[in-house]
Amino acid sequence: MTDETKPTLVLEHVTKQYGDFTAVHDLSLQVRPGRIFGLIGPNGAGKTTTIRMIVNITIPDSGRIELFGQTMETRLQDRIGYLPEERGLYRKMKVGEQLKFFAELKDVRGKEADQRIDNWLQKMGLSDWKARRTKDLSKGMQQKVQFITAVIHNPDLLILDEPFSGLDPVNVELMKETILENKREGKTIILSTHQMEIAEKLCDDVCMINHAKKVLDGQLRKIRHSFSRNAVALQVANADGVLQDKSLVVNVRQNGDDTEVLMAPGVDAQALLKRLVEAGAVVNKFELAEPSLHDIFIEKVREAS
Amino acid sequence: MKKFLAVIKREYLQRVRTRFFIISTVMGPVVLGLFAVFPVYIANMNFGGATRLAVIDQSGKVYDAFQNALTTEETENSDSENENKAPNPQMQRDASFGRQKFHTELVSLNGRTLEQVKRDLNERVRANELDGYVIIPTDVLADGKPEFYGRSTGDIFTRETLSDSLSRAVREQRLAENKIDQHVLREASRRVTLVSTKISNRGEEKVSSSGFTLVFSFGLLIYVAILLYGQTVLGAVIEEKETRIAEILFSSMRSFPLMMGKLVGVSLVALTQLSIWAIAFTLLAGFGVSMAAARGVPTSIPHVPPMVLVCFLLFFLLGYFIYATVYALIGSMVTTVQEGGQLAIPVVLMLVAGFYFVFPIIRSPNSSLAFWASMFPFLAPITMMVRITTETPPAWQIILSLAIGFTTVVGLVWLTARVYRVGMLMYGKRATIPEVWRWIRQT
Repeated sequence: MTDETKPTLVLEHVTKQYGDFTAVHDLSLQVRPGRIFGLIGPNGAGKTTTIRMIVNITIPDSGRIELFGQTMETRLQDRIGYLPEERGLYRKMKVGEQLKFFAELKDVRGKEADQRIDNWLQKMGLSDWKARRTKDLSKGMQQKVQFITAVIHNPDLLILDEPFSGLDPVNVELMKETILENKREGKTIILSTHQMEIAEKLCDDVCMINHAKKVLDGQLRKIRHSFSRNAVALQVANADGVLQDKSLVVNVRQNGDDTEVLMAPGVDAQALLKRLVEAGAVVNKFELAEPSLHDIFIEKVREAS
Repeated sequence: MKKFLAVIKREYLQRVRTRFFIISTVMGPVVLGLFAVFPVYIANMNFGGATRLAVIDQSGKVYDAFQNALTTEETENSDSENENKAPNPQMQRDASFGRQKFHTELVSLNGRTLEQVKRDLNERVRANELDGYVIIPTDVLADGKPEFYGRSTGDIFTRETLSDSLSRAVREQRLAENKIDQHVLREASRRVTLVSTKISNRGEEKVSSSGFTLVFSFGLLIYVAILLYGQTVLGAVIEEKETRIAEILFSSMRSFPLMMGKLVGVSLVALTQLSIWAIAFTLLAGFGVSMAAARGVPTSIPHVPPMVLVCFLLFFLLGYFIYATVYALIGSMVTTVQEGGQLAIPVVLMLVAGFYFVFPIIRSPNSSLAFWASMFPFLAPITMMVRITTETPPAWQIILSLAIGFTTVVGLVWLTARVYRVGMLMYGKRATIPEVWRWIRQT
């Protein structure tokens, strides 16, 4: 395993152009070992190009990529597991043979490969499908087969581009659990997704890119905190008097069962809670509301356009 | 290297186990055989039964001979029968198989005018009692021209047969009038048979009579195999691009060994199929010969020198790698199999051109046309092979042709690898030539 103090992956001023089109511009980021790193951004932001450079499919025009403390090279590819956004499996191959081939491409061979294939198929609930042709599988099953090709060689760095697309809720849970399990084993995971709720739950760090540039980067917890707007989410009865006090509350918005309350500048959440209790309101929920990743994402994208 | 082998293994095993491979391996020779035999068979088929023919012989001298000529084989070639002392009766029957049958009747004028008789006959043709009639003029032995009236004068086979038979009948009659014995004439005009002996570097060698068939088969086999397996490579490349597998493959290995693995894997499939065909052919031919020998018919398999087989292998591989590489180049530029097919048309035409060169080269295998055609790498696999089987050119020419060819392969592979690396990850639209040019120049 990599040295805990050193980042698993470092990108320094990486730029990639296709003709006149700049896909990635001066991107720098660090992915720390044993963490889940979210790479998020709207379509066409440059996520896929960034990932392709990380897995050494394309080479940056300028800048430097360092993986496991070494400059990127072909040999390091065997330590990466990659689930691309565009799925690709040989339609006519049997599932077992397909996995064997991809294992061999990652230098896992023979009995070792067979053993791992069987374990993974069992884990994904696909054991009965081993001898079937890939095209006979449902989209979700193919997705799981594709995932196995990414982890069959037990990689140190796992790059998952939209791993949840095409999965039903049960399989989304299975996939999430598998990803977390990999994290517990000490793997570093880069997760690229549009599904913010999932990213929010899974990621430790995020990097948001838009129009080929990084717009936000850091620990998810800190980012959310920095975006907090002094708001609380309430589920409360008999509190109308308090909530209408303009010295305390600037804005009240009903959001489903929750009442979102934006407090006046300088007002402490504790003061508001105290006032509510004193006023005899029944408080079922009182939660400091941090903006969701979704809100931050939308805000950042709007800001740029 | 291990990954390269894994790609070859997958490519080979997956293709050899397909139904297409098994069927084409079994059916290939059958289909080729049918292509050779069937058209002749169909052309000779006569569905209408015997052709009913009326003959007005105004000369009164030709009818018997004409009728005889229509129903028997041409005797002009009978001299060859004398040479082959043991003609195979079975073979002879086969040769006359499909021969058109005629039912003739002599119509005499009986005082009527020719016009009246023709009207009657026309009526009978319309009533489908007759298929046609022939009028032999009085002066047919001099320079009179017989006439044929029939329902379908467009049938060239009938016309040919009638014309030949009339010629024979008239010739026999002319001989008889000049008191020349037919047998004397036949003896006098017997053909001289030329025994050809090839002078090669190793001295004199007998040329087998089936030389043309052999040469032609080699040319055809190379042509078909290159076309078939070139297309296979095209399909394989497009499949990986279309299904985005290339992206995963590129994340595991460099593009060059991947592309080469593909080319080599498919070439092994091709060699497997050709070997199966060769073994099957040898066994069947051996079986056929022993069967024929058992019946007392001496036959022999055309003798193919081992050197020719080695050359066949080398030139097949040369052709395969030239064309398969071009197909791979096209495959990495396009997005669908249909687009690939369109873009590949010029390539196929090039291959067809090579095949057309077979005929002039068989005629004069040492002409400068043959020389240059066999040096041009895109034509060499077929043209040089034809030269080798007809009149083996000096070794330096064969080596030069191979050297030019394999240098071309190296260049094409280099070029294709560059386009492949970028093109395989470009989805959505077909690459333009300027784009491809930029990919090639990029380091």
